[in-house]
Amino acid sequence: MQTINKPSLSSLFDDQNLFSSFVEERSWEPGWCADFRMENWNHFENLQSSVAKDENWRFSPKSRFSLSGVNQLTSDVDLLSLSSSVDSKSRFQDLNKMILDFPSEISRIIDLKGPCLGALSNYHLTSALFDNGFFLNTAPGIESPEVFTVRHKLPKSGSISFRKNVLTIAPFSEITVIEFIESDRDSNSGNLSSILHAEIGEGAKLNRILIQDAKTNATLHQFENFVIGKNAIVTNTTIHLGSSECRTEIKGNLMEEGAEFENFSLFLGCGNQLFDQRTMQFHAAPNCRSNLISKNALNDQSKSVFSGMIKVLPSASNTNAYQTNRNLLLSNEAQADSLPGLEILANEVKCSHGATTSKIDEQELFYLQSRGIPKKSAENLIALGFLDEILAMVKNEELNESIRHKIESRFNNS
Amino acid sequence: MIQPKEFDIDTEKGNFHYDTNYAFDAGVGLNEEVVRYISNVKQEEKWILDFRLKAYQTFLKKPVPTHWATEDLNNIDFDIIRYYLAKGQQPSRSWEDVPEDIKNTFERLGIPEQERKFLAGVEAQFDSEAAYSRMKEDLEKEGVLFVGSTEGLRDYPEIFKKWFGKVIPTSDNKFSALNSAVFSGGSFIYIPPGVKLTQPLQAYFRINAENFGQFERTLIIADEGAEVTYMEGCTAPKFETSTLHSAVVELVALKGAKIQYVTVQNWSDNVFNLVTKRAIAEEEAEVRWIDCNIGSRLTMKYPGVILRGRKARGEVLSIALANDGQHQDTGAKMIHAAEETTSNIIAKSISIGKGRSSYRGFVKMPKHLKNCKNNTECDALLINSDSQTDTYPAISVQGDGNSVQHEATVSKVSAEQIFYMQQRGLSEPEAMSLCVNGFVNDLIREFPMEYSVELKRLIDLEMEGSVG
Repeated sequence: MQTINKPSLSSLFDDQNLFSSFVEERSWEPGWCADFRMENWNHFENLQSSVAKDENWRFSPKSRFSLSGVNQLTSDVDLLSLSSSVDSKSRFQDLNKMILDFPSEISRIIDLKGPCLGALSNYHLTSALFDNGFFLNTAPGIESPEVFTVRHKLPKSGSISFRKNVLTIAPFSEITVIEFIESDRDSNSGNLSSILHAEIGEGAKLNRILIQDAKTNATLHQFENFVIGKNAIVTNTTIHLGSSECRTEIKGNLMEEGAEFENFSLFLGCGNQLFDQRTMQFHAAPNCRSNLISKNALNDQSKSVFSGMIKVLPSASNTNAYQTNRNLLLSNEAQADSLPGLEILANEVKCSHGATTSKIDEQELFYLQSRGIPKKSAENLIALGFLDEILAMVKNEELNESIRHKIESRFNNS
Repeated sequence: MIQPKEFDIDTEKGNFHYDTNYAFDAGVGLNEEVVRYISNVKQEEKWILDFRLKAYQTFLKKPVPTHWATEDLNNIDFDIIRYYLAKGQQPSRSWEDVPEDIKNTFERLGIPEQERKFLAGVEAQFDSEAAYSRMKEDLEKEGVLFVGSTEGLRDYPEIFKKWFGKVIPTSDNKFSALNSAVFSGGSFIYIPPGVKLTQPLQAYFRINAENFGQFERTLIIADEGAEVTYMEGCTAPKFETSTLHSAVVELVALKGAKIQYVTVQNWSDNVFNLVTKRAIAEEEAEVRWIDCNIGSRLTMKYPGVILRGRKARGEVLSIALANDGQHQDTGAKMIHAAEETTSNIIAKSISIGKGRSSYRGFVKMPKHLKNCKNNTECDALLINSDSQTDTYPAISVQGDGNSVQHEATVSKVSAEQIFYMQQRGLSEPEAMSLCVNGFVNDLIREFPMEYSVELKRLIDLEMEGSVG
């Protein structure tokens, strides 16, 4: 039942020279940054030799995340593009520029924590070898919701890019961040490991949307850690359509009174796609609320793993925490594994989780067919309806329309 | 507002022990010689000894599963445990023949009384071996077998050997391997085709000696169309040091058979209760585990059903009550291996004081099957602010022919509810008791009458003084 955590990453990373030549090329970085990379590289190497069994990889075919097809780090510098809706007073830059021009503003990234939900060796590898990322530090008290857009392009196939992204929202600011992970050409189908560190100040509101539409031979690791302050609200919506295999780890840390965390995700699986999702709703303060909805629609031989934990510390009284996982199996070869979990150490709490896995309801299908809709279209309609709850979180009409369009075209191809 | 307050567990009914001179004593600690000694005392055939020795090697190889289970397991010292203790008794057929000190023990626990009242058969195990075993005569004539593990394997190998160790392989986990190496006592039951027992069979397990490990082995086979209800109860005196109880229970329900297995576990709170329980259900068979855990220091028990025949049905109903110093780590496993199989898991837990209750479940449906259904509900109630509860279900479903639903909630008794009842003249503890009884009521009704009355009383006792 347990997966054995074998050191199985691509042999590219066995080579100590890989790290030293990487650091050499970035000799323009300040010393603390090089030290930070070194520390993470050492962590990574130590983890490679451990063979302990790990519950955090349960049900996951870990070998698929071994990056075995990777033979080089990316040398492409043009993989990240940033844009914002209005001429902003906020600092919005790529990370390399920040390290070069404003090292003092970002030296604290060495203290930022990750979600730590299992893929530790890849996390440290990413922290050692990050080649870029975005940095956003909002001006305090932005009143009209500003939109910041980040496009992560995948590197060429056979190579890998590591990103570190830092998002700091000043108190009482209200913003939207939209991230795209995409391959603009067939040749951009390499691999990406990306960490997002988000800190949300008192009373701030963050609406973050991720749309992942990578080519279907990419391997992705996506780490997201949200530290949420007093009365702050985070709505995180992630939409995963592409990639061959994608491991995401998302943790919402409710650290101060009145914080709210909403986490919605959607995965549409086709072919042999694998979506391995680990989440944590971490309640450390009283009067906080969190909600999670994870919906997976699975065609062909696709597979999803959902492992979600609600952890409520003794200090977190009056917690309301909910978690829902719904899996729709659209083919006889598809597989859905669920590990919904609760760990409750406080007693003034309302917590619940629900997980269901089923196929399309025969009666719904019959209803549509009896009104002249062909079976295939009827199935697609029902599946789209199933995913609608998550899609509705994308309020921007144009964007919403384009995602729906992508989903429909995927159905038609499957 | 409800204030947390300390209170005691009532295990007083079982908290006494007599000094006993044992004729057979395998000594302290475990090695190959101990395994051979046990086998030799029982004059077992060679295949059983080989089975034990192989299991002992497996036990040594298997790690303590702390990568998912509690670290408390590391506190078990396998070297200070006594693995076999017996007076050399043969199970007596008449109550008068039972040795005086053992009789006193069971008299105090009310065993013969219960038998006269409503049981079809009873077996009472004292440390390693059964002291008393009796069954109504008409059942014997119908071919029903109710014997200990030693007699079962020695006298009826044609019936029991086929299934022994087949439902739960030795290597299933470290504790099933340990049991397979040193097992002794337990019930071997065979119900012939079409025989339906209207009254339950009962076994009573008693640990009397300090640092003693009880490793009973139970195998129940219900042949085609047979029906049986089996109940077990367990107690131990409070010793200063911890005691280990590690049983293996295998159930086989052949075509159309029904087995209902009821456990009321009230070990004293220094017992490690690490039990492996699993059933095979063939075509249209039904297996129900009804499991109630009130005692022990740490219980790890996940009764399972392998649904191997079409339209088989499995059910686990579980109540756990964790008080100060206790960890009830219970749950259920449902492995669907045939079409149109259904399973149902209802687990309710109550954590009081610093108690911790965990639910761990596993539901599996492979892709070649159609129309399998599972329903899982687990509800937890927290009484005090130090109480803890966890839920760790695992659900694996392939293919578009099956459906699973799982739901869990955690809540506490609300101040409004207590206030409402106080308004109507109930005292606060009474109100609390009523809330808790209401929480588990629909499950308690599933227990046989005598047990449900006893359970209600136990829960009332546990709740006493939990509010102030």
